[in-house]
This record gives sequence, structure tokens and C-alpha cells, in this order.
Amino acid sequence: MRRLSSLAWRSLGARKLRSFLTMVGIGLGVAVLYVSLSAGAAMDAAVDKAAADEIGKADVRVLALEERGLSKATVDVIDRIAGVSVVAPALERRSYLSASLTQTPTATLPPPVTVLGIDPVREPMLHDLPLVSGRLLAATDGQSALITQTLASGERLGLGDTISLNGTVAAGPQDYKIVGIVRGDGPLPRAEGRLVFLPLDSAQTLFGTTSITRVDLRAGPGVSVDELVGQLDATIQTQPYLLSRTQDLADSLRAEMADFRGALLLVAAVVLFAGAFLIFNTLSMTVAERGREVGLLRAAGTTRSQVMSFVLLQALVLGVLGSVLGVVCGIGLAVLTLSWVRSSGALDLAAPVLSAGSIAMALLIGVGITLAASLEPAWRAGRIPPVEALRRGPNGAVAGAARLRWLVLVFGVLALAALAMWPRASAGSSTGSLATGSGSSMWGPLVVYGLLLSTVLLLPLILGPLLRVAGLPFRIFRNEERLARSSLARDRSRTALTAGALVVSLAMVVALGTAAQNVRKIGANWLAETIPGSELLTSIRPISTTDPIIGQLAAVPGIKSISPIGIFGAPYVYTTQSGGRSHKSVVRQEAAAIVGRDYLGDGRLTFVAGDRASALGALDASGSVIVPESLADAANIRVGDSVEFATSTAPSRLHVVGIVAHSIPAGAQEAILIGWSDALNQFGVSGADFYAVRFVPGQEALGRAALDSAATSYALQPNDLDRVTGTVGDALDRIFRLLDALALIAVLVAGLGMVNTLSMTVLERGREIGVLRATGMTSRQVWGMVVIEAGILGVVGAIIGALVGLAVGALLVLWSSGGFGLAFDPPWPSIGLAVCFGILVSITAAIYPAGLASRQSIVQALQHE
Amino acid sequence: MRDAVILEARNLTKRYRLGTRDVDALRGVSLQVRRGEFVALMGPSGSGKSTLLQLLGGLDRPTSGEVVLDGEVVSHLSDAEATRLRREKTGFVFQFFNLIPLLDVYENVALPYTIAGVDPRHGDAADRIREVLELVDLQGRERNRPDQLSAGEQQRVALARALVAKPAILLADEPTGNLDYATGGEILDELWHSCDALGQTIVLVTHDARAAAHADRVLVVGDGKIRDEIELGRRSTNRDAGPLIARLAQLGL
Ligand SMILES: Nc1ncnc2c1ncn2[C@@H]1O[C@H](COP(=O)(O)OP(=O)(O)OP(=O)(O)O)[C@@H](O)[C@H]1O
Ligand SMILES: [Mg+2]
Repeated sequence: MRRLSSLAWRSLGARKLRSFLTMVGIGLGVAVLYVSLSAGAAMDAAVDKAAADEIGKADVRVLALEERGLSKATVDVIDRIAGVSVVAPALERRSYLSASLTQTPTATLPPPVTVLGIDPVREPMLHDLPLVSGRLLAATDGQSALITQTLASGERLGLGDTISLNGTVAAGPQDYKIVGIVRGDGPLPRAEGRLVFLPLDSAQTLFGTTSITRVDLRAGPGVSVDELVGQLDATIQTQPYLLSRTQDLADSLRAEMADFRGALLLVAAVVLFAGAFLIFNTLSMTVAERGREVGLLRAAGTTRSQVMSFVLLQALVLGVLGSVLGVVCGIGLAVLTLSWVRSSGALDLAAPVLSAGSIAMALLIGVGITLAASLEPAWRAGRIPPVEALRRGPNGAVAGAARLRWLVLVFGVLALAALAMWPRASAGSSTGSLATGSGSSMWGPLVVYGLLLSTVLLLPLILGPLLRVAGLPFRIFRNEERLARSSLARDRSRTALTAGALVVSLAMVVALGTAAQNVRKIGANWLAETIPGSELLTSIRPISTTDPIIGQLAAVPGIKSISPIGIFGAPYVYTTQSGGRSHKSVVRQEAAAIVGRDYLGDGRLTFVAGDRASALGALDASGSVIVPESLADAANIRVGDSVEFATSTAPSRLHVVGIVAHSIPAGAQEAILIGWSDALNQFGVSGADFYAVRFVPGQEALGRAALDSAATSYALQPNDLDRVTGTVGDALDRIFRLLDALALIAVLVAGLGMVNTLSMTVLERGREIGVLRATGMTSRQVWGMVVIEAGILGVVGAIIGALVGLAVGALLVLWSSGGFGLAFDPPWPSIGLAVCFGILVSITAAIYPAGLASRQSIVQALQHE
Repeated sequence: MRDAVILEARNLTKRYRLGTRDVDALRGVSLQVRRGEFVALMGPSGSGKSTLLQLLGGLDRPTSGEVVLDGEVVSHLSDAEATRLRREKTGFVFQFFNLIPLLDVYENVALPYTIAGVDPRHGDAADRIREVLELVDLQGRERNRPDQLSAGEQQRVALARALVAKPAILLADEPTGNLDYATGGEILDELWHSCDALGQTIVLVTHDARAAAHADRVLVVGDGKIRDEIELGRRSTNRDAGPLIARLAQLGL
């Protein structure tokens, strides 16, 4: 041994299992952290790609806020703005390939295609369209089309083939010749690969319109984006529009994923926290165990700082090896996790990329937490007096009991790391919605985390009674139970930490389970509460309210009523007060056009303010609006107020006649409810997007069958309400199950901690066990004693974990549900399962140490010194 | 030079606090040890011998009084200074648990060098380690682990380690306490040899009059004080314990 530091290595090597388990514990924490980081990176990548695809080389996008789009006149106005160099208008619509309609007349509809009418000359100046074959559209092209590679292979189409598209023209489907194939899915994520490009003129003809849905702009040389935006604001007066910059777009996409990322980070923090307990407990027991050795070293002249660095070095070795192991596992885990999330369809993710940044971050945090957790044991080792070497008798709590203050330190390190990595909230984004308070998203997890920490800090105080309660199931083995309990009560901090890891991880499992249950419920309740019917007929294009379809459908046997619903973006004028001046800005607020009287009959729509009957009546009359509570709270709207919309006709004011607890979900918002006459006349809505269908009671089966065949011939998609909520619920379920699986890793880490702690207490109590054996305890009883010790720990961890988990779950529900979750309904069976799992893990963890204890030879135990 | 005082205790007291009860382990001890002298501390169990030895070696601090080791006031040093002093000027041999189980014989002996940051496998350090291993007759056992050695061999390793850095003073607390007479005798002979031939100053705590008979002078500790002092003188042969035992008997020990 050339240098003292190699004693640290040897000390690790002497207890291989312990070192290995500690390393694995750290590794698991880092692995989950890496998953969380790389999920974040994958989301960022997806967002950036989506934003880049959408906006391309444009600086600003002007988006029509009204269904009828921006008029030719508005586009001309934009064209004349001095600071603009390129103006690329486009029309985006959904349609069906008419060939596939006739192919399968009775089966469910094939997915729609998105048609993008583009200016053949200007569009390529702002958007790259990589082709795999053929050519781009030309200015002279009439009935020509580009399609994506995905659509081509899905529909077995090739260059030179003809596609037939359904439009709104009475003349029927129009034919287009495919002149080029665009690589992959094409630039529009929401088209899911089924994208057709037409010359703008042809597209406008097809859909019978002269308007466009968006204009992409590029600033001229020497003109900043801000100047351009200013000029646009000053110029476009007649039509409501939404300006977005690439950054805004990315921000709003990112905001949608923030919750998931936050949850992932929280789970990673909990696993790391459990890992930190493991490190702390292992090191501090190692220090206690080696107290006399340390005393000897001190007597021989080793300085305090040498002793401390000796402990820190051990921690560093464990931390580095564990973190490397964790990153390696994490890379594999990330691939599995992300493909699982992607397959759920709930989030649009890119494949995980190996980023040096994430790897470095995970390593850094892993090692940092290990060191933070080892500071206290190291400090305590330094305090061991040299006289310790001379002390006789059992090598008891020589180094003093572990102090839990350090936990605050580890908490701090983790919290800081989490803050550094927190998905950036896009509070100022113009596309952000009013109803989602973006401020709470970060504090929520921090509060949860603090709650978990304080539970662990409080554990030692209530340990006595807790142990007695937890011992009850093991009372049949009276002696063993007593001995096990007293052994646990000996070092309260240690026991608290060992159980604490279990508490924290089980709490997370239970909380996630509770939140998942709630979200599922909300999904089911939401639609049931806001849709006047049991079946939804969705259409890919708005169907005019005067269209004969409605009458024909209503005549189908078994159908009682048909209620049209149109979803559109309303240009909501939002007034903010800043610096004493009120400032008006326009945001997109999702709105739904409904027929008020269709809601009169049954109890759907819960009014929290306003009179139900008169409000619904007023809606049908016109000039009124019903506001969801979430928006009313956020924007401080009361019944009797009027809200302003920047519609093109004139700024129109609608009278608030009622506030409802929940409204129809649209986008990430709840829609405001507007009567059909206002929607058509003031907001330019061209028709209904779906119909809520109610069946004649007792004739559901008949009605449904008739509806299915009728709907298909009108290119309508019938959807059972249960199935709609089911699909949404399934996607969420997968996400929650993933989070749950990651949280279960924390339970495993807690189990590893238990193996370590129990093995060490067994070694520590070698003499004591020897005496017990010498006075007649069988090796079986010794075995039982250790297993019962673990059982008691498991029960303590499970009980407290379940309680804290319910509390955290309640908080999550409260934050996420917007009032739906107040009927708190935890999923008892799965909580029971989690509790059993926790106890099972504890008892399994005891098997090795129990064997160690029962195999110990009496003679050796007593001879020992 | 030989008569220079290397270690001095002035009116040492040590009070331990046991819960609410105070235990006065030392109640005013003064003593002087000259360079090259071999002093034995004897006395009944609990009389404060070990406590005194700990204070003399700077392992612990006195409640009052002071210890001067080789011109430095040990009892008032900071922890870091006391540590340095221990490393440079003292060597310890305890009754139990002298060795680090993870290290082999050579490494255990080399510990003082390793701690001081000196590579013990080369140069003077290596020579010195070989020398002390020879002195305690353990050459060839360098690669053995402590658990592969007998109790007597373990104590010899401990002795070698205590001597290796040529400390100003060697402090031993019942180093032969759990050894049989013959094995203990070998250790004591080695101790005596290092004192007589190499001029090593030694303070030895023992219960055994036959062990104490190796010393130049015996201090009898009782109830936290020095009760008596028996001058035996350096005797290279005939270290008969008879006269000492008779004298101790007179003192009622
Ligand atoms: N760390 C301690 N805390 C409290 N009391 C102590 C401590 N160490 C020693 N004592 C008490 O101080 C007194 C002297 O103890 P010491 O160990 O010095 O005696 P000793 O002469 O070495 O005894 P023995 O011959 O049995 O080794 C005893 O009463 C002992 O109980
Ligand atoms: Mg003693």
C-alpha cells in the first residue's frame, strides 16, 4: 500500500456485496434521471423539428383566427408592407381521398388527408420540400399535386398517378396528377404523414373559397422581426389574426409537454433521493463499524482531514462507478421508455438521441448527490477520537448517531439540479392559454418533494409507537418480535432512513396511482357532462347548418335527436393592467357553437353561476356567451359582464349569461359556449364539426347500426362516447404506468438499502447474537428475528408511504383537475398492491442478512476479541 | 543527555462525565520520564492507568494540568497539532486491536510512513521496516494478514509498527495482557532490547509484576494518583521479579 487512499479502495473491496448494492442503488437513480433527461431532450428535439418544419425560413406567421380565413384583401395589404421580403400564403384543409371512400363503403372511414394549397413560387423560398422523386409544383400547374412518401406507400400511389379529392364543390371530387413525392411524413406533424400539396388556386377552387389560412413572412434585409411585427400590427385592421414567431410556436408546443417532463423529473428526484438514503446509511454504518480502525489510524497520526477524505474517496468511487453504470442502463431504459410513450400516441416524441449534455448532467448529478450524502458520515468519521482505538467491548455507536440534518443538504442539491433542468415555462407566449396557470407547474413538484422530505425527518419522532403498531402482525413470535423491535429502536435515525426510502418511493407509487385514477375519471366525466348525447359523429370538414344531412340523419330510425357542435378559435380580447394602463391583447380562445335547448332536457352542463334555463335560452337567441369556470377564474369574469371579441365585422361584445363548472374540451382548453347564430354571423363559422346523437331509449342498438351505415355515406365518423374517453384514457394510462414503473425502481432502491442496513446490523450485533445463541436461541429463531425486523420496517414504510402518497395524490389531483377531482377516490386495490409489494421487497431484502445471522458460529462470535 | 526529561506530567486530572455522575479517573498526577528510560505503571483495575497513558500520548486531553512531551505542551495543542505530534513522536501498542485487518503485516508496519505520505516500499523507509521486522523476528511474514497470525505475532507486528518511526516515546497499554507467559516474555524482551540497545523511551502499563520487572522504575497508581515509586535500575541480566513482588505486597497490591 503506497498511499493511504488505497485503504479506501480496499475498504470497498472488503465488503463487495455492500459496495455493489450501494453502487446499483446510485446507478438506478442515475438511470431514471437519464431517462428523464433524454425524454426532455427528445421532446425538445421533436418540438424544434416541428417548429422548424412549420415555419421554415419564415420569421413570422400570420394565422387566421376565423374559420373563413384571411381574405385576399388582407393578403394584399400584407404584401404591400415595406419591411417584408417574402409573403407565402397557404390554405390548409382536411379532406378524404374519394377513391378510398368507394373502396370500402361500409367499413370505418380511412384516415383523412390534409390538403395544403401553396403558392408554387413563393412557398419554396421559405420552406424546403425535399423530394424523393418528381418535381416541385410550378407556377403554371393546374391540376397537379405533390404527396408525401408516407401517403404514397399507404395508398399505393406513384408518380403520374391520379388522386381524387373531396372538396366542398357541388361538382364532386376533383382529380389531380401526382408530379412529385415529398420525403417521409412531410413538414406538417398534425397531418400524420397524409399530406397533399396543391397549387393555392386549385386548392381554393376545390374548397370553394378565396381565402387562405396562414401567411408566412420573411423580413426584408435590415428589418428586425420586432419591426416587422410592429408594421403588421399597424397594418392589418380588418381581420383577426394571430402572429407567431418560431420561438412562440416552439414555446407553446413545449408547454404542452411540461407536465409530463415535470412528473418525470419528480420521479427521478425521488429515485435519487432513495439512492441518497442508501449511500448515507451505508457510509455512516461503515464509519461506525470501522470506528476502532479509524481510532487506530488517528492514534498513529492520521489527521482529521485525511480521515474525512478517506470516506469521501470511497463515496466518490461508488458515485462515479454507480453513475457510469446508471448512464449505461439509462440509455437502454430511455430507448424502451420513449418507444413506449411514443406508442401511446399521447406525446409526439423523437427517438432518443445520445447527447453528451444529458450524459454529463446525469453523471454530474449522480456523483454530486453521492458526495452530498457522504459529507455527514465523513465529517462524523473525522470526529472519531483516537482513544476509540483503546475502547473495549462491543463496537457500538462509536461514531455517534447519524444526524438527519444532512438530508436538507441533499434536498437542496437535488432541488437546485431540478430547477436548473426544469422545462422552461412559456408564460409570455402569445399562443399560451389563459386558463393554464403556468406558474404553479414548478412549485407543485417542489412542494411534493418537500412533503416527502419532511416526512422522513419526522419519522424518528414517531418511530416508537410506529414500531409497536407495525410489530402487531408479527406478535405470534413474541421473543423475536421484541428483539427485532428493540434492534430497530436502537438507532432511530438509521431506521428512519431505511424506512424513509421505502416511504418516499411507495408514496410516489401511491400518489401516481391516485392521480391516474382521477385523470381517467375526469376524462370519462368531462365528455359525459358536456356533450348532449351518447354518440359523436365527427366530420373532417365543417358541415353547414343548412345542409340536408342533419334532417336525413334525424330521420334515421332509433335516433331521437341530433345536436350540431362547431369548434372554432375565437379572437378573445384580453385586457391586462400594467403600470396603471390597461393593455389589450388578442388571444385564441377555443369556442364551441352549441344549440342551447338541446342541453335543457337532461342535467348536462353544471352551472355554477347564472340561471340554467334562461342562460341556455339566451344562447340560442344571440348576443350571449357561457364561460367555463376555469376561464372565469383566470380572467375574473362574472355573470353580467360582457366579453369582447375582435371579430372582423366589428369588435363584438357578448353578454356572459352563465358560468359552467366544465365545458367541452377543445385543444388544451375548455371552450367558451356560443350560440349558433352568433357563431355563424359574427365568428364566420362555416358549420358543425361534429354532431351529438341521442338515441330513442331502448333502441340504442338499432339506432347505432342504422347510424353507422348512414354516417359513412356522408363521410362522417361515428364515435361511441365511451370509446372516445377510452382512447384518451388509454394514452394517459400508458404514461402513468410508465411513471409508476419508474417509481417502482425507487422501491427497489429502498430494498437494496435494506439489504445493506440489515447485513450491517447483523455484523454489528455479532456478539449479541452469539450470546443469544449460546443461551439457547436456535438458528431458525435468529433467522426469524432478522426477517421480522425487515417485516416491521416494511410495514412502517408501507403504512406511512401509503398515507403520504394519498396526501400527495390529493395534491396532484387538486392541481391538475380544475375542480373535477374534489370527489377524492383513491384506487384502493392498487394501493393495497403497492403496500404488499413494499412489504414483500423488505422481506426479500432480509433473506441474505438473515442467513448471515443464522449461520454465524457461536464460538467465533464470542471469541471475536 | 540520558538524564534529560523527555516526558513530564504536571498535576494531571481527568474527570469523565457518566450521565449525571462524574468519575474522577485522575486526581492530580505528576511524573517525569527521562530519555531512554523504561517506566512501568502498575495498579489495580480502574485506578486510572490507561487514562494516564492516553493523556501522556496526546490521545485525549486532561481536565486540568499539562503534559510536556519532548518540549511541547501536548495538552494544549489543537487537534491537528496533536495529530502531528502523535505521528512524529509517539508509538502505541494496545492490548487489543492493534492492526488494520485489511492490511497485511508489511502494510500495517508501514502505516506511519503511509500516513505521512512517504512511499514505504523504497529507500530508507523500506530499510527501516525490514529492520524492525527483523527486530521482532517476523521476517518472511510480510504478506500475511492479521487474521493469519497468532495473538503473540499480532502484538509483535504492533510493536514493530510502534517502533518503526523511531518515536521519542513508546506507550504500551498491557501489550501482553492476553498472551501466555512465554509469548508475553518475548515481547517484553524485545521492548527491553529496544530500550537498552537503541535508547528507546518506554512507558508500559501492566498488571503483571514479572512484566514490570523489566522496567527501570515502577510507578504504582492507585485511585487516580501516584501512590508509590519503586526504583529498580537498569539490569541487563537477572530481571527477577521477586523483590518487586515483595515490595508490591507490602503496598497491599
Ligand atoms: N471513556 C470513559 N468514560 C467514563 N469513564 C471512564 C472512561 N474511561 C475510563 N473511565 C473510568 O475511569 C476510571 C479509570 O479507568 P482506566 O481505564 O484508566 O483504568 P485502568 O487503571 O486502566 O484499569 P484496567 O487495569 O482495568 O485497565 C475507571 O473508573 C473507569 O470506569
Ligand atoms: Mg487499562
